[in-house]
Amino acid sequence: MLRGDVMEDLVLYAVDYARGAGATYAEARYHRNSLRSIVSNNGLILGVGSEVVEGIGIRVVVGGALGFSATNRLERSSIKAAVDRAIAQAKNALRLMKHPVELAESRLGRAKYSVLEAKRFDSLSFEEKAGFHSELWKALSRSIGEAKASALFVEYVESFEEKAVANSDGAFIESRVPRIALFYNLVITHPQKGSIQRWETLGASGGLEWLDKWGLINKLEEDAKTYEKILLTAIEPPKDPIDLVIGSEIVGLMVHESCGHPSEADRILGREAAQAGKSFIKKGMAGENIGNENATVIDDPSIPGSYGFYLYDDEGVPAKPRYLYKEGVINEHLHNRWTAKIYGVESNAAARSMDYKSEPIVRMANTYLKPGNYRLEELIEDVELGVYVKSYMEWNIDDERWSQRYVGLEAYLIERGEIKDFVRNPALEITTGGFYSNIDAVGREVKFYAGTCGKGEPPQGVPVWFGGPDVRLRKVRLGVSVA
Amino acid sequence: MNEELLRISEDLVKRASVEGFNESAALSINTRRTMLKIANSEPSVIQHWNSLSVITYLAKDRRIIIMEFHPRDESEIYKSMADLLKVAAKVMESPLYAPLPEPIEVKPLEGLVDREVIERLEEPSTLAEVAIEAAHREKIDSVAGTIDLWYREKALSTSSGVSLHEDSTGFQAYLRAFAEPSGSGQWSTCSTRLNSRGVEEAALTAAKYAVESRYREKVEVGKYDVIMSPMVFGNLLELTVRMASAFNVLMGLSMFMGRKPGDKVASDKLRVFDEPRNTELPRATSFDDEGVPTHNKAVIDGGVLKTLLHNSKTASKMGATTTGNAGWISPAPWNITVGRGGYSLDEMIGGVKRGILVTNNWYTRLQNYVEGVFSTVSRDAVFLIENGKVTKSIEKIRMADRLPNILNNIEALGKEAYNIMWWEVTIPSKLPYVLIKDVSVTKPTL
Repeated sequence: MLRGDVMEDLVLYAVDYARGAGATYAEARYHRNSLRSIVSNNGLILGVGSEVVEGIGIRVVVGGALGFSATNRLERSSIKAAVDRAIAQAKNALRLMKHPVELAESRLGRAKYSVLEAKRFDSLSFEEKAGFHSELWKALSRSIGEAKASALFVEYVESFEEKAVANSDGAFIESRVPRIALFYNLVITHPQKGSIQRWETLGASGGLEWLDKWGLINKLEEDAKTYEKILLTAIEPPKDPIDLVIGSEIVGLMVHESCGHPSEADRILGREAAQAGKSFIKKGMAGENIGNENATVIDDPSIPGSYGFYLYDDEGVPAKPRYLYKEGVINEHLHNRWTAKIYGVESNAAARSMDYKSEPIVRMANTYLKPGNYRLEELIEDVELGVYVKSYMEWNIDDERWSQRYVGLEAYLIERGEIKDFVRNPALEITTGGFYSNIDAVGREVKFYAGTCGKGEPPQGVPVWFGGPDVRLRKVRLGVSVA
Repeated sequence: MNEELLRISEDLVKRASVEGFNESAALSINTRRTMLKIANSEPSVIQHWNSLSVITYLAKDRRIIIMEFHPRDESEIYKSMADLLKVAAKVMESPLYAPLPEPIEVKPLEGLVDREVIERLEEPSTLAEVAIEAAHREKIDSVAGTIDLWYREKALSTSSGVSLHEDSTGFQAYLRAFAEPSGSGQWSTCSTRLNSRGVEEAALTAAKYAVESRYREKVEVGKYDVIMSPMVFGNLLELTVRMASAFNVLMGLSMFMGRKPGDKVASDKLRVFDEPRNTELPRATSFDDEGVPTHNKAVIDGGVLKTLLHNSKTASKMGATTTGNAGWISPAPWNITVGRGGYSLDEMIGGVKRGILVTNNWYTRLQNYVEGVFSTVSRDAVFLIENGKVTKSIEKIRMADRLPNILNNIEALGKEAYNIMWWEVTIPSKLPYVLIKDVSVTKPTL
């Protein structure tokens, strides 16, 4: 990490030089991502990783064209060259521009903030962290009886994201966010029954305190027993329409995919049309119905400990909760200052960039369905015949975010209000309107799940949480899982 | 710059030895890249990168450490190296460990650098103009896309005596056209060399499919014979060839787990190659990350799995020889090509009684890599084929099936191959349209 004064000097130099060279708007972001990782297979450490991605990203608006340039050579001459390049290329593109890029007026921050680890990364020795991997493998292996634990791939990552953002409209934000993440893939096989596979990500901002909160060794033991039972005993799900209780993990993913993404204003305006696609939401649709009164989805970057945590976005705008769908109505989109200008609103601080090489674009942070009043038992007790799907394996959604599919992993038959046998691979294939219009009851407890959300070109993966309570839908026909 | 890059790599290897590592390799890559994005038939942003990345492999008593830096200077890498040596003492031996290979003479590849690509790094907007103009020759409403150009210099040094450098250029373009009501089409191209005509053709194909796919009608779910465009087949084949990486097989992330070279894994008609020495495709390279000379190879030939992709580590672990596909940890394909068949697209359509032509897809996800169970969503033009003719444009569909079924049910391959590279096909691929029997097609039930 550069010293604070050096960092400040570099970004302010870039902004001032760009303004002097003809940019009507200039922004510079010193951005350093550093991480340490330990990768294992079946408890054996394959290797250790160390990564530092550090440099400066510069954006300019010149005569209505937008240029971006990035370099990791941090002397003034390289930064000057990067600014000159961004300006020259924006000028070249001007003749093809039809709608000049303009940014909305915004209340911009001048602030420094830092997330503190309750338990620092160095409070556990390397041996203890490496030992954790073999403990996980032992936990998985000892929990399996008749089947076999075939593979457990684990990647443990501790990281810091440090930034200094300055722009010609007066923003100056310095930030430091530590994060911890565990990615794992397990495979359980049986000679006659086939295999079951589970990918999972755990992630948060903060330090090693999350390892205690996650209790992964116990979780893996319990999960492994469950997965083995699924492999050995699960039955086909009902073919007729049934009541469906969807677990918070899937609800979280659903609101991310079918509310968060289609609410990105840049997507609605077509800026990502050739990559991540467009949106079923068109400009002017705010205020229209998308579901019933149970459909309220919030995206909030400021949730303490969240994987997608930030207090100011990469344009210097202060973060706040965004109510994307509110009681069944398309309410508010995710905006940066460019989309806010077109919509005639204020930016709600959705501009994020993955690293110094990435332009800030409209992103989610932590997206969740607003909780209701039901306990899980209450969601289930009056279901005559149904399925409770707690976790998923495969999912996808079309590029306008309307037709989506989730194939359940841990799923149970519900008969006369009681949870019964496991069911195998129930496929929920549903439209966005179908989901939000048919939420019949909403659980009271919100749980969050971690993910890396992809968007942009070159692709940018940014950490997010998605979550929600369990919900119930009535009379849903489950789809085909696989031929 | 090459000498300077090579010096960085060599200095790192020397330093690693001084610090006490038994083995090391350093790969320094300097990239100049310009990308122009188009949205609503105008540029949305022009991005430029000038960056140096240095990736270092370190081994100490069979322990493995990988460092990746975008360094502001080398002192930071040295400091981290010293820290990591302390860590190395505490790591258990890696089950993947094998010594770095000794140097083998590398025959350089000619024609990897196109001066025109380097020149256009400064001024890509004329290519954008070509794309926008060509797409609008059809009655479309708008076009979006990406023009991406790069010049990459890489220098590799290893403690076993490898000292190599190589320069290359690359270019990819993809365009997506929109025509109301609800029509859209997408196509792509790529090469080591600038190909303005390729950009124009990609734009024209995207626009043609956009116009033809307007006025979509519903389609029933069920089994269909599906003609996949090179965009779609390229996406599924990239997944397939990545699963042929021996590392993915070892990690339980492959449908080739439990299979071995010589096993039948696909239709007799399928021939798939990894072609690092095909200088038409932009990941062409003469040496891999271990300094092993690359060679073109069949991965699947006549439906038979011919080889997994290996580096020296996976090869040692599995009793094979390296295929020149390192990745120090995970081997990967360089460029993917598919042996052509004998049919034109029209002839292929003519042979289908009830089928679907899918021109593009995205969001392919697997529920189980070992069994290859996946689904993928169509985007852009989809057409119903009845009795040998395209009869209507249809709404988006989802294909939900098993990759082994897809590979085994290949019925026919086109005689023309297309260079494809875009968001969902990240390994440059050259492949034709393909006809696949009995693919499961689904759609939402609510």
